[in-house]
Amino acid sequence: MTLGKYLRIRFRELEWSTLILVVLLSASGLLAIYSIEIQHETSAGYFMRQSIWSIFGVVLFFVAFFIPRKAIHNLAYVVYGLGIILLFLPILLKNDSAVSRWIMIGSIGIQPSEFMKIFLLIALAKYFADHKRKLATIKELMTPFAMTFVPTVLVLIQPDLGTALVYFGILIVIIFWAGISPLYFFLLIAPALSMLAAFQTLSFFIWMGLVIIVLYFSDLPFWTKVLNFSINVVLGGITNLLWALLKPYQQQRILSLFDSEADPLGAGYQVSQSLTAFGSGGPFGKGLGEGTQTHLKFLPEQHTDFIMTVIGEEFGFVGVLLVITLFYLLIARLINQAYSVKSRFDSVILIGIASILIFHVFVNLGMIVGIMPVTGIPLPYISYGGSFMITSMVLAGLSANMATIRRAVG
Amino acid sequence: MLQGKNIVDGWRSLLIHALLGILFLILIGRYYYLMIVFHEKYAEKATANHIRAIPVLASRGVIYDRDGTILVDNAPSYTISVIPIEIKDKPESIERLSTIMEVSIEEINRRIVKNRRGSFAPAKVFSRVPFVKISHLQEHRLELIGVTYSIEPIRNYVTDLDLSHALGYTREINRDHLERFGKDSDYQPGDQVGWKGLEKYYETQLHGKRGFRYIEVNAFGQEIGEVVDRDPINPIPGYDLILSIDSYIQSVTEKALADSSGSVIILNHTTGEILAYASRPGIDLEMLSGRISSKNWNALIQDQKKPLFDRGVQGMYPAGSTLKPLAALYSLENFSNARERTYTCRGSYRLGNRSFGCWKKTGHGKVNLHEAIQQSCNVYFFNLIQDIGLEEWAHLAREFGLGSLSNIDIPGENKGLVPDTRYMNRKYGVKKWTRGNLLNIVVGQGDVLVTPMQMAQLAGVLAQKGVSYQPHFVNKIVAKNGDIKQLNLPEAEQYVTASEDNWEFVHEAMWAVVNGPRGTAKAARQRNWDIYGKTGTAQNSHGEDHAWFIGFSLDKRFPYAWAVLLENGGGGGGKAAPLIGKILRAIAKETS
Repeated sequence: MTLGKYLRIRFRELEWSTLILVVLLSASGLLAIYSIEIQHETSAGYFMRQSIWSIFGVVLFFVAFFIPRKAIHNLAYVVYGLGIILLFLPILLKNDSAVSRWIMIGSIGIQPSEFMKIFLLIALAKYFADHKRKLATIKELMTPFAMTFVPTVLVLIQPDLGTALVYFGILIVIIFWAGISPLYFFLLIAPALSMLAAFQTLSFFIWMGLVIIVLYFSDLPFWTKVLNFSINVVLGGITNLLWALLKPYQQQRILSLFDSEADPLGAGYQVSQSLTAFGSGGPFGKGLGEGTQTHLKFLPEQHTDFIMTVIGEEFGFVGVLLVITLFYLLIARLINQAYSVKSRFDSVILIGIASILIFHVFVNLGMIVGIMPVTGIPLPYISYGGSFMITSMVLAGLSANMATIRRAVG
Repeated sequence: MLQGKNIVDGWRSLLIHALLGILFLILIGRYYYLMIVFHEKYAEKATANHIRAIPVLASRGVIYDRDGTILVDNAPSYTISVIPIEIKDKPESIERLSTIMEVSIEEINRRIVKNRRGSFAPAKVFSRVPFVKISHLQEHRLELIGVTYSIEPIRNYVTDLDLSHALGYTREINRDHLERFGKDSDYQPGDQVGWKGLEKYYETQLHGKRGFRYIEVNAFGQEIGEVVDRDPINPIPGYDLILSIDSYIQSVTEKALADSSGSVIILNHTTGEILAYASRPGIDLEMLSGRISSKNWNALIQDQKKPLFDRGVQGMYPAGSTLKPLAALYSLENFSNARERTYTCRGSYRLGNRSFGCWKKTGHGKVNLHEAIQQSCNVYFFNLIQDIGLEEWAHLAREFGLGSLSNIDIPGENKGLVPDTRYMNRKYGVKKWTRGNLLNIVVGQGDVLVTPMQMAQLAGVLAQKGVSYQPHFVNKIVAKNGDIKQLNLPEAEQYVTASEDNWEFVHEAMWAVVNGPRGTAKAARQRNWDIYGKTGTAQNSHGEDHAWFIGFSLDKRFPYAWAVLLENGGGGGGKAAPLIGKILRAIAKETS
């Protein structure tokens, strides 16, 4: 089969709806950036650059769509290895700037940690597709955990807590999807929840009660129950110690979640200003280019993490609802596709992409209205930023690739 | 298509769908709550965020004399402020400011904290800065980031007249005042507020209401421009006061009083208008309304002459013989033989084993009531008071306005003291006080205390045969557009009722005090002008006697009543009467 014929057949199989949804989302992001730009007379060129990234992203969407899945499957670990090397580069090339999450190529900065989301996802998918297991022992989970742990540590050094959490989020959802029993899944995520619950005495005791009930009714050997329970208690107990190990700005970001208005010029400042932007937008917004909160620079990171505040202030609740609906359609389709595809590899990749999107959308849209910590998680397709735009587009292309039946492959 | 079992359990897919649904519903709920339910609250907050109201100060009302001559108006003054957010990382700005102004860095920082109204709003640090310092500031402006200066109106004392105790002064408002005025009031830290005198009494009318300009600012507090769709609120200037003070009479009065400690008050007894109000020593209004150094302040409060003390309304003195006409009027009204009744004065009066002296050691001989007033014979009144009694005398004194506030329109007035039986019993114990106290009281000694203001009013009541006109400084309060906001018309009140004949008798006797051959106030006599009066020489524990002279003129051109008090000035006839004589001569000369 010639390449031309392959591409023609494959093109006919393309799921247009996915492409349309991501293009609509990118367009709303561009509109918001355009609105910022028309207000600020000194143009920073954000709109032009984001337009180029978006177009480049659509091209990469097709590239990801056309790559034969066999090639992806076969090269998964190689690509993963390359990704790890890329992640090392910013640390090795560490220049005078404090945050080393960028690799500079000329004037363009690249964030390998974004691309790593794709590479990790593919590698995990390959592992779970190749090793169909019950996932009932710690040994069976060692490899995927290790695969996730390495990039997580590398981004934590940068330090980038948000991305680290995305990596682990992918792993947890994939393990669940790959067929782990509910009890083992519970035991797997229980330690993390124990640590969270330990921030407050009452919630910790309620959670521990729940853990005891689940363990009591399980058919695990007695000593396994005791061990599990001990792990949860100990982890909950040393949470305060771990808390002290977090960098002050990370602590501050988590703390600012709880009271964003308390210190308007500190960590909660952005959230406080963001709430004002959304609230003042009202049902229908102030109109394109009319937002005062965003344009008068009350919001420092308005074009990246806080991009939705522009849409909220200028297009109101209706605008926000529209964007949320687009995301819902995109993600819900991915879950359906993950359920209906017949290949385990495809299914895991699709659910992994869905989990990345759910995590980003919920954490981003939650943090800017004060119900999630400010973790520096951008909004897919909408936030300004080349690396993430490309990553998101590749993920969409990959999902379109996995979701379609390939007659071309034969 | 291949038919076969799905590779994933259906419940896992459902669970992830459910998770997605729940998370997105949380988001939608949160956005609905923010953008629909609480829309208005945040809309207001957004407006407040980027629109800053810049206050435009209202100019304080001008104070004029009765003829429209300006006494006090406003002049530009330079104020230095700092913008807290801009100096946050620039300690060198404060250091430089400290060297220019010669004030310590700590003091500057203290003032910033005191006058701070937010990170972006200028906090006042120096007011009434001399222009020289402002030009220094200009030279170094590049090293003074975050330091700004503005021009504000301050009080400008145009007149050469002293009048200081009546005018009073303004000072920067303090926390107590701000709290008392309440949050909704127009006052802000750094504002000037009337502190003493007319400035304080008429604060509400003089103050005016500040206006606002609306400026759009960005998150850094940088001004972007005037807000287009919001009209500025123009300040409403304070109302002007038109006083009853006659600048000419005031100036001759001040000249006559010179450096003596005391008070001269001249009023129009047909209207209650205060024409001249002198209280010496005066105060330096300009110094007191600025930032006064503790050295100057201590010097002021430790000054033996007590310049901060407004003798006109706050000073309480024994009245001396000036109160004799009161006892005389009582006698005329109540004793049928009052005019004929005589007593013999041998220079002193014996009561039990105590001796009460008359001022004339050789005695006045046999005197009737008319002669007793004219020559101010104590012995006559020592006898008379024993027939009147304390209660009756006190009642009459109160009718003349003693022992209560005159309600003059400046703050801080004292009401003096009119002793009655209850008071004497409380002070000395029942039956512990004697007729001796009574004798002292009738000649204005002992427990009687009066203020010059009360005595001027009393002189007016005598002139008006019992009618009192409410004394006042302000005739009219006028808005800048000419609207009259308040008009103080003469307000008459019947204080004392007595027969016309008896009033005439008292007038005649008081005329004789000035014009009679043996009158005690011959020095007050005027050519072609009938002056009525009564001298007083009040003994006191602070040294030499206080000299009093109260009086009036019934001339249609000069319907004046007055009180003169010279602290430790000596005799009323020898010191106080010549002083008013001098003033009246100057008035007559000006008129002719």
